[in-house]
Amino acid sequence: MGKAYFKQKCGLYAINIVAACGVFIPEQFAGLGKAAQDCGVFRLKLTSRQTVVAVLDEAKVSCLEQRLTELGLAVSPYGGAVRAVKACAGNSALCPRALGDALDLGIEIQEKFLGREVPKDVKIAVAGCPRGCTDPLCADFGVVARGGGTFNIFLGGRSGSSKPLHGSLLAGGVHKEGVFKILEHVLKQYDELALPKERLAVTAARLGFEAFSPPPGLLGDNSPQESADQDFLAFLNGKGK
Amino acid sequence: MGMSNQIRTTAHVDLEAMIKPLQNICNECDYNGTDDCKPAACMAGFALRSLQFAKQKGILDIPGAVQHIPQSDMKHYFAENIIPALGETCRQCKECQDNHSPDCVIALARTCLENTILEENIHYPGSVFMYLAALRKQDQDIAQMLAAELQRKK
Repeated sequence: MGKAYFKQKCGLYAINIVAACGVFIPEQFAGLGKAAQDCGVFRLKLTSRQTVVAVLDEAKVSCLEQRLTELGLAVSPYGGAVRAVKACAGNSALCPRALGDALDLGIEIQEKFLGREVPKDVKIAVAGCPRGCTDPLCADFGVVARGGGTFNIFLGGRSGSSKPLHGSLLAGGVHKEGVFKILEHVLKQYDELALPKERLAVTAARLGFEAFSPPPGLLGDNSPQESADQDFLAFLNGKGK
Repeated sequence: MGMSNQIRTTAHVDLEAMIKPLQNICNECDYNGTDDCKPAACMAGFALRSLQFAKQKGILDIPGAVQHIPQSDMKHYFAENIIPALGETCRQCKECQDNHSPDCVIALARTCLENTILEENIHYPGSVFMYLAALRKQDQDIAQMLAAELQRKK
């Protein structure tokens, strides 16, 4: 795994800067602007992964990197690594259409998994509803809130290349804790089963999605769905109040 | 991020307004109050208990509940009794469109009520206007009754 520094045609360097799923506090945003001025940044560009690219002279790269650390920002990992997580503004305080806390979940996933080494880049997208503003079906691992504190997980999407793919449903009605368990399981399986530099979508297509399915018991013996069912059926039959 | 309120709760839906016409249906039922009253096997009972469950829990969705809707309720229901309840589901519908969930308690009640007076369920298009249009294609009389109910001042 490397860090996202890229030499540009003009000789300048591009640095990919990652924040909490694209969320900056004003001090970070203003601080980044000040640091960009101080380090002679030529341009700043927003990326499709909700990161910011700064273009500057190679000699000023370490200066900017130091300032990023002070601001609580970081240089994005690159190569065979879990990339910056895309998450929409879906949570209880922001998007009125949200069915679940997508932004909070995305930030937590990024904090836990960003930079983890994997055979080839793994892109994760989290959306607060099926509208999917972050294109979760085009991600290696896509998460879509479906209400009731549960999420659907899609695996094997890929937006780029000449053969873009939509992910397929790997697990439905999963609670937040289950999303982390399934992601951990998927990354372990991917580590074990992928050919060198093989994208997750290709591994899944080659071996079948069953190779990534959560094993029995991973989400606990009594799944949240089963508990909810029993609760509702008991009420329905008059055993509840 | 700060949490100022919860997502998809019953706070913005008047569940009681939907419960009342369903209770009226139950009050006219011969089985009401007898040992033969089985909400899990009754369309009106299922709709009523779903709404009461949602009210008790403060939730708008009951994940997986749609698969428990009874399939063998052969009782006869009068359309004039059902329409006020069906109309109330339309009034309370938040027109979630793409985010429509069949496990939403409003959708559960509507599905049950459809089963009492229509030959087939209507695939809910996510908006009341589109729903009326789809209903008209299946049963003009019921569509007219529902439209009149919706025009009636509450």
